[in-house]
Amino acid sequence: MQDLLYFFQQLINGLTIGSTYALIAIGYTMVYGIIGMINFAHGEIYMIGAYTALIAITGLATLGIAWLPLVLLVALVCAMIVSSSMGWAVERVAYRPVRGRHRLIPLISAIGMSIFLQNYVHLAQGSRNIGFPSLIQGGFTFGSEGSFQMSLSYMQITIFITTLICMTALSLFISRSRIGRACRAVSQDLGMANLLGIDTNRIISATFVIGAALAAVAGLLLGMYYGSIDPLFGFIAGLKAFTAAVLGGIGSIPGAMLGGLILGVAESMTSGYLSGEYKDVVSFGLLILILLFKPTGLLGKPEVEKI
Amino acid sequence: MPAQNFKHALFCAVITLIIAYPILGLNLEAQGINVTLTGADTFTIVSVFLAAVVVFLFQLFRDNIMGSLQGALSGLSSGSQKEPMAENKRAKIESWVLTGIVVLALFWPFFVSRGAVDLATLVLIYVMLALGLNVVVGLAGLLDLGYVAFYAVGAYTFALLSQYTGISFWVSLPLGALLAALFGLVLGFPVLRLRGDYLAIVTLGFGEIIRILLNNWTSLTGGPNGIGGIPDPTLFGMEFGRRVKEEGNTSFHETFGIAYSGEHKVIFLYLIALVLAVFTALVIRRFMRMPVGRAWEALREDEIAARSLGLSRTAVKLSAFTIGAFFAGFAGTVFASKQGFISPESFVFLESAIILAIVVLGGMGSQIGVVLAAIAVTILPELAREFSEYRMLVFGAAMVLMMVWRPQGLMPMRRIHIELNKQD
Amino acid sequence: MKTSVKKLVTAVSTSVALMAAGNAAAEIQIGIAGPMTGPVAQYGDMQFSGARMAIEQINANGGVMGEQLVAVEYDDVCDPKQAVTVANSMVNDGVQFVIGHLCSSSTQPASDIYEDEGILMVTPASTSPDITERGYELVFRTIGLDSMQGPVAANYLASLNPERVAIVHDKQQYGEGIATAVRDTLEAKGVEIAMFEGITAGDKDFSSLVTKMKQADVDFVYYGGYHPELGLILRQAGQAGLDARFMGPEGVGNKDINTIAGEAAEGLLVTLPPSFDQKAENQALVKAFQDKGEDPSGPFVLTSYAAVQLVVDGIKQAESTDPFEVAQALRSGSFETPIGTVQYDEAGDLQSFEFVVYEWHSDGSKTPVN
Repeated sequence: MQDLLYFFQQLINGLTIGSTYALIAIGYTMVYGIIGMINFAHGEIYMIGAYTALIAITGLATLGIAWLPLVLLVALVCAMIVSSSMGWAVERVAYRPVRGRHRLIPLISAIGMSIFLQNYVHLAQGSRNIGFPSLIQGGFTFGSEGSFQMSLSYMQITIFITTLICMTALSLFISRSRIGRACRAVSQDLGMANLLGIDTNRIISATFVIGAALAAVAGLLLGMYYGSIDPLFGFIAGLKAFTAAVLGGIGSIPGAMLGGLILGVAESMTSGYLSGEYKDVVSFGLLILILLFKPTGLLGKPEVEKI
Repeated sequence: MPAQNFKHALFCAVITLIIAYPILGLNLEAQGINVTLTGADTFTIVSVFLAAVVVFLFQLFRDNIMGSLQGALSGLSSGSQKEPMAENKRAKIESWVLTGIVVLALFWPFFVSRGAVDLATLVLIYVMLALGLNVVVGLAGLLDLGYVAFYAVGAYTFALLSQYTGISFWVSLPLGALLAALFGLVLGFPVLRLRGDYLAIVTLGFGEIIRILLNNWTSLTGGPNGIGGIPDPTLFGMEFGRRVKEEGNTSFHETFGIAYSGEHKVIFLYLIALVLAVFTALVIRRFMRMPVGRAWEALREDEIAARSLGLSRTAVKLSAFTIGAFFAGFAGTVFASKQGFISPESFVFLESAIILAIVVLGGMGSQIGVVLAAIAVTILPELAREFSEYRMLVFGAAMVLMMVWRPQGLMPMRRIHIELNKQD
Repeated sequence: MKTSVKKLVTAVSTSVALMAAGNAAAEIQIGIAGPMTGPVAQYGDMQFSGARMAIEQINANGGVMGEQLVAVEYDDVCDPKQAVTVANSMVNDGVQFVIGHLCSSSTQPASDIYEDEGILMVTPASTSPDITERGYELVFRTIGLDSMQGPVAANYLASLNPERVAIVHDKQQYGEGIATAVRDTLEAKGVEIAMFEGITAGDKDFSSLVTKMKQADVDFVYYGGYHPELGLILRQAGQAGLDARFMGPEGVGNKDINTIAGEAAEGLLVTLPPSFDQKAENQALVKAFQDKGEDPSGPFVLTSYAAVQLVVDGIKQAESTDPFEVAQALRSGSFETPIGTVQYDEAGDLQSFEFVVYEWHSDGSKTPVN
C-alpha cells in the first residue's frame, strides 16, 4: 500500500511538471510547424512571463489588494500581455529578417536572442533568486497517519486544470477558427498559402504570440509551484520543453502534450527510484532511444521527401 | 499609406513600452526577508520612453529612412566595383597572405605581453574547435549542438591519463584526438537516420549526457572537483616550470642557462597551439579537395542527388563526424594543458553554442572567415571587460545583428568556379 | 540599474588608477579577483567591499613601509577559464599580491599560475581542501576548510540523536565536499544515513526528492550547497508535509533564503563562521562599513578585510615586498585581525578556524545554539 502511494505521488509530481513542460513546448512546436525553426529564445519568454507575473503580484500587494482571484487574474493578464508582446517583437526583430535563409541562420539568431534576453532581465532585475509567493496553499492527503502520506495540493490541481483548459482551447482554436485554419494552411505550404491570399506574415506573428501567451501561463503557474525565479531558469526549462516537443513529434500539438507528460514522469520516476543525479541523463537517453525507432517523434508525421 | 504607417508606428511604440517598462522600470528587490517593488530612477524611465519615441519615429518614416540608406549604400558600393580577378591568381595571393600571417604569428609572442599571448592561445584553441565543427556543420551540413562533448573527451583523456599513468602531453595528444574521434564514430552510427533538427537535439542531448556523466562519476573523474595538476607540455624532456616536477626531466631555463621566466611556458604553449591550428587547417583544406570533401558538400547540397550518384550516405556522414570530433580532441588536450585544471563546468551547452556561432559568423565552410570569427568572438569580450556587466548583452545582440545584416558571415566560402565573361 | 552604473564608475576609476600606477613607483598593487558579474556576483560584492575598505583604511594610516596600496580589480565570473585569463593579466600588470579568488574551481587553476610566477595569494572564500593540499608556498586563506566545517556540522547533528539522516548536495565542488565530510563523520559516529544524493544546481523542481525523503522517513536533512536550492527544498518540503529538520553550511546562511522559503526557513540550522561583525573589538570597523552604506555581515566581508591586512602585516614583518619573504613571515608569525588571531600552518591554512552552529529564523535573524 505504502509503495503504491509512493508510486502515485511520484506520478503526480511527474505529471505536474510534465503538463507545464507541455505548455512551454507548444510554443516550440507551433513555431517549428510553421516556419521550421527552433525558437531558442522561447524559454526566455517564459522566464519574462514569470517575472512580469511576480512584478504584478508584488505591485498589487503593495497597493493592499489581496483578493486572490483578482490577484491571479491581473498577474495572468499582465504576464500574457508582456510575454506576447515580447514574442511578437522577437519574431519581428530577430526572425523575420532572416526567414527563408539557410536554416542555421535563424538558429544562431535565436541563440543570440536568448543570450540577449537573459542578460536584459539580469541587468534590470539582478541575478538573485527571488521568492515567489505561493498564493494557492493546502491540499488533500491520502494514507494513514504515521506512515507515508500521499499529498495532492490545490496548486497541482490548478496546474492540471489550467493546462487542460489551455490545451482544449488551443485545439479548438486551431481546428475551428479562421486564424487556426490559416495556421494549418501556412504550416502545410507557406508559398501556396501566400498565393491563396493568406497574410502569412500575420499568421506567423500570431503563432509567436499564442506560444508566448501559453508560456506566460506556465511562468505564473510554475513560479507559484516551485517558489523562486531567476534570469537563467527559462533556459533550462526551455531546453526540457524543446526536448518534450521533439519527443512527441515536433510540429504536432498533441505530441507536445504527450512528450511533456512522458518527460515529466520519466524525470520524477528516475529521481524517485534511481537518483536525481541521473534524471537528465535518463530524459535525454529516452529521447535518443525514441528517435532511433521513430525518427520523427511519437506523433510526428513521417517526412516525405519530394524530388 | 501615411495613415497606415502611423498606425503601425504607434503599435510598435506601444509594444516597445510594454516589453521595456515592466522589466526595466519596476525592480523587484529583496528587502530583508520581503520582496518589494521599487520604481527605477528617472533616468531609466526617461530612456524607456525615449526608446519608444525613437521606435515610433523610425517606423513612421521607415520608407524614407530605408530609401535614403539604400541610396547611400549603393552610392558607396558602385564606387568600389572592380574587375574580378582570375581565380587562380586570387588563390595565389590568398596563400601568400596566409603564409605571411602564420610567420607573423610565429614571432609575434616575443614582443607582446604575457596576457596577450595567453589570450591568443585561447583564440587558437577556438580556431581548432571551429575548424573541426566547420567540417560537420559547414561542409557536411549536419547540425551538431553537442560538439563540446568531443572537446571534453579530449581534455579528460589527457587529464586522466596523466593522473593515472603519468603519460605526457605528446603521447596524450594523438590518443585524446583518437578517442574523441571514436566517440564521434559511436555517436554517428545511431543518429545517421535522423534529419536536420532532430539531429541537433540528439547531439545536444549527447553533449549534456557526457557532461553529466563526467560530473557524476566522482571516483574516476573527480566529479565536480575536476582534475588538477595536469602537466604542461615538455620540449624534449625539458620542463618550463620554476621547478622540475617529474623525475628525469630537466628544466628549460637551467639547460639553456637563462633566468627563469614564466613567459617561456606561455609562449611555448602558444607555439604548440599555433602549430596544431595550422596543422588542423592544412589537413582540413586537403580533405576539402579530396573526394571525401566533395562528397560532404554534395550531401549537404542535395542528399537525394548525391545518393543517386552512388555516394554512401553512411560513410560520408560518419567520416565528417569522426574527423570533426578528432580535432575537438586536439583542442581539448591543449585546453587541459593550458588550464592545468579541468572540471565539467567548462563543457556546458553555451560553449557548443559559441563554437557554432564562430562557424556561422565566419561564413560556413570558409577557413579564413572562421579564424577571423574566432578572434573576434574571443577577444571582443576581453576588450569589453570594463563594461563587463553589458558584455553578454552586447554579445547576444551582436549575434542577432550579424545574422540579420550579414548572414553569409565575415568571409563567405568561395567555391572554385569559372566565370563567363559578360558579353555586351 | 544603479549598482551597475556604480560598478562602471569603479571600473573606469580603477583603470585610471592603473594608468597612474604605471607612473608612480612608490605603490604596492593589491589584485582583487572575484565575480563582479554572473550568478554568484553577490558573494563577490562582499569580497570586494571588504578588501576595498581595508585598502582605504591602511592607506589612510600611511600605507605600508611608506608606500600606498592600490587596488586592481578583476572579474573572473567564477569561471575557471576566465580565472586563468585573469591570473595571466595579473602577471602582466605586475601584481604581486592577490586577494581572491572566490570560487574554489577558479582559485585552483589560478593558484598554479601564481605559484609559478611568485605571486602571493590569499583567498578569503575558497574552502576546498584541494587548494592547499599541493604543497604550494604562496597560497594562503583566511577561511576554514570544508573538511573543518563538515565535522562541526556532523558533530552537532549527532548530538541531537537523529534516527535517519538524509544528505543532499548540489554536485558542485563546495557542496559535495562538505556533504562528503558530514557523511564520513556521521558514519564514524554510527548514525544511520538513509540517503546520500546529488541534485542539479539551478533546478527548481524538488518534489521527487522531497517525496523520496518522506518515504525514507528521515528526521534530519543535511544540505551541502547554496541557498537558492535549499530555499526551494525547504519550501517544497513544507508544502508536502515532510517533518524533518534541515541543516546547511555557510553558503545557505543568507537572507535571500527567507524570501524563497518564507515560514519554512524557521529552525534551519546553519554552520557559519562566527559573526565577526558582532565582536566588540570590530565595532569601529562595522561603523565604517555602515557609514559607507555597505553591509559588513556577509560571510566574506571581514575575511577579505583580514586578507588584505595579513598581506600588509606580512610585508611589515618581512620588511620586504618580496612575496616569498612575505610568505615566510606569514608562516612564522601570529597576527591580530578582525577574524581573530591568525597563525598559519605549513600548508597555508589557518591553524584554527571556528565554526558556530546557528539557528535560522523566518524573519532572517539567527541565534547561536551552542
